[in-house]
Amino acid sequence: MMVATLNGLQDWLQDLAQRYDLIAPCNVDGHVLYRPVASGDEVLLDYERPELSAKDYFLPATEILLQVEQQGGQVIQEEILPDRKQVIFGLRPCDAHGLAAIDALFLKQDPVDRNYAHHRARTVLLGLACPQMWDGCFCTSVGGAPDDPTHLDVLFREVNGGYGVEVVTEKGESVLEGLTLKERKGKPSPSGADAEKIPLASSQEWRSLFGRDQMWRRHGERCLSCRICTYVCPTCRCFDVADRVVAEQGGVTHIERIRVWDACTSTNYRRAAGGHNSRPTKPGRIRNRFFCKFCYYPEDFGALGCVGCGRCIVSCPVDIDITEVMRDVAGAV
Amino acid sequence: MPINEPLTQQVREQARQLLASNQVTCVIGYEKSPRGGARPAFIYDATEADRLIWGPDCFHNLVTYLHDKKTSPRRGEEPPHVAIVAKPCDSRAINVLLAEQQIERERIFVIGMVCEGTQDHTGEVFSRCARCADRVPVVYDVLLGESPEGPSVSVDDVFADLSAVEEMPPSERLSFWLREFDRCIRCYACRQVCPGCYCTTCMFERDDGLWVDIGIELPQKHVFHLGRALHLAGRCVECDECERVCPMGLPLSLLNRRLVREMETLYDYRAGREESLTPLLFELGEEGSPI
Repeated sequence: MMVATLNGLQDWLQDLAQRYDLIAPCNVDGHVLYRPVASGDEVLLDYERPELSAKDYFLPATEILLQVEQQGGQVIQEEILPDRKQVIFGLRPCDAHGLAAIDALFLKQDPVDRNYAHHRARTVLLGLACPQMWDGCFCTSVGGAPDDPTHLDVLFREVNGGYGVEVVTEKGESVLEGLTLKERKGKPSPSGADAEKIPLASSQEWRSLFGRDQMWRRHGERCLSCRICTYVCPTCRCFDVADRVVAEQGGVTHIERIRVWDACTSTNYRRAAGGHNSRPTKPGRIRNRFFCKFCYYPEDFGALGCVGCGRCIVSCPVDIDITEVMRDVAGAV
Repeated sequence: MPINEPLTQQVREQARQLLASNQVTCVIGYEKSPRGGARPAFIYDATEADRLIWGPDCFHNLVTYLHDKKTSPRRGEEPPHVAIVAKPCDSRAINVLLAEQQIERERIFVIGMVCEGTQDHTGEVFSRCARCADRVPVVYDVLLGESPEGPSVSVDDVFADLSAVEEMPPSERLSFWLREFDRCIRCYACRQVCPGCYCTTCMFERDDGLWVDIGIELPQKHVFHLGRALHLAGRCVECDECERVCPMGLPLSLLNRRLVREMETLYDYRAGREESLTPLLFELGEEGSPI
């Protein structure tokens, strides 16, 4: 096992912040969030699970897809993408797993999502293993683990007297320059192995319960139709697109095409032209959200739509609990 | 989690009677959450009434769910009769909705609860409860719990916490709010939980909105929160549910209660305190509208 000292890690982070756009967990007015940092001092090393996933840096809450200038009959379109390399340090393994889930649709299906692919390519994922499972966590039930290196470029983990470093990809290796590592005997002990497993029904089993209206009403009727669960989720990737006029000057109209997060839990998500809403009830929308994660998405794109981060559980104001639904489904088939 | 056993039994018995006699088709109350506290529950069958509980964890304002019961799930049928468990603050929201003709009194059976204040999952009393002297709902069909003699707590100045922000110079105050709004993720939880926010299409969510587009950015969040607060002037019942549900911890109560105080100072009016036929801002006196 290669180990870095705390001081060595902090010096290297300081340097990293100068060389790249560094994103890391920070304390934002009492909330732990992945945020761009200007200096290594802002990086938290002792934290639980950031309150939002890191998807904002790949599928931003609001992203300008296109800038358009219109002057009379002349239209100039320009696509803009940032070209700087982005490094996320302190990413939790579930958040990397979430990106792998989004990859299944945005990268592995045609057409590739151009913006998402760009952000994925320019970003290095440096994970920091969770020392334990937190409130609501169930990553070990859906194919992850608190110290799973699979979807990361480098996995760090706190060990006695420093941080163990596990290089996973060449991309990861490339940013470790300047970090002093020493070889140490022994292997870190795995974490989360004894966590309780939530039963996972197959997509076919989920399908067989689609018509259980009573069950979906019981889970869904208390939903507020807000968007918390989908916005905190590392795999929810629905978006909306709109054009907006940003300025009109000297006969030139400046227009932006933006892409913005959307949520299947919101009332008007399924509203179509003419006003018809094909998913007008809360139980119907909640059922869809869970079916998307455990039935439709795995069937269509080959990846589970849930990585067990538990954010939707702890942040739901009315205690809709995805693990309760999973247990109910597994128990009903 | 703390459950009030005697009151829980009374709530269950009340629900059983109402459902068994077909007086209502649904009782909206609280059940035990798998996470330990209480959560909203919808009971349709008398045999399910034992799911209901009552205790200091029953902090949700259930009145927002009455909007889901304004129409029948089946086309052409009358809206259902429903019962709702209501604390004093919740009951004020019922009065607001009655005045705004959103619900019909004869279709709502209010199970009023004498309230000693609610607490969060750590056992800490909500600040909204610490400054609330109301123990008995303002509207109910049956009252459960011992009605105390007079208010059991006295709160000197329920708006004392507003001064910290109000005493800031304007530029500092703007920075304070922009810093708060910056964390907002525009999840609309504050709006969705609010009994007073029931527009079919929110003006901040219109496809053709003139004032604000769909972007999740600071200007849109700024306009949304100030706009929502203004739309609740004279209507907010200070249940502070918006602040409780906010995943980013925005102090929304400071905005809403600033306007509550304004309405009280100007018109000696606190929303929902009394059953009134007309919302304040629609009232025309001899001198015309109060505004």
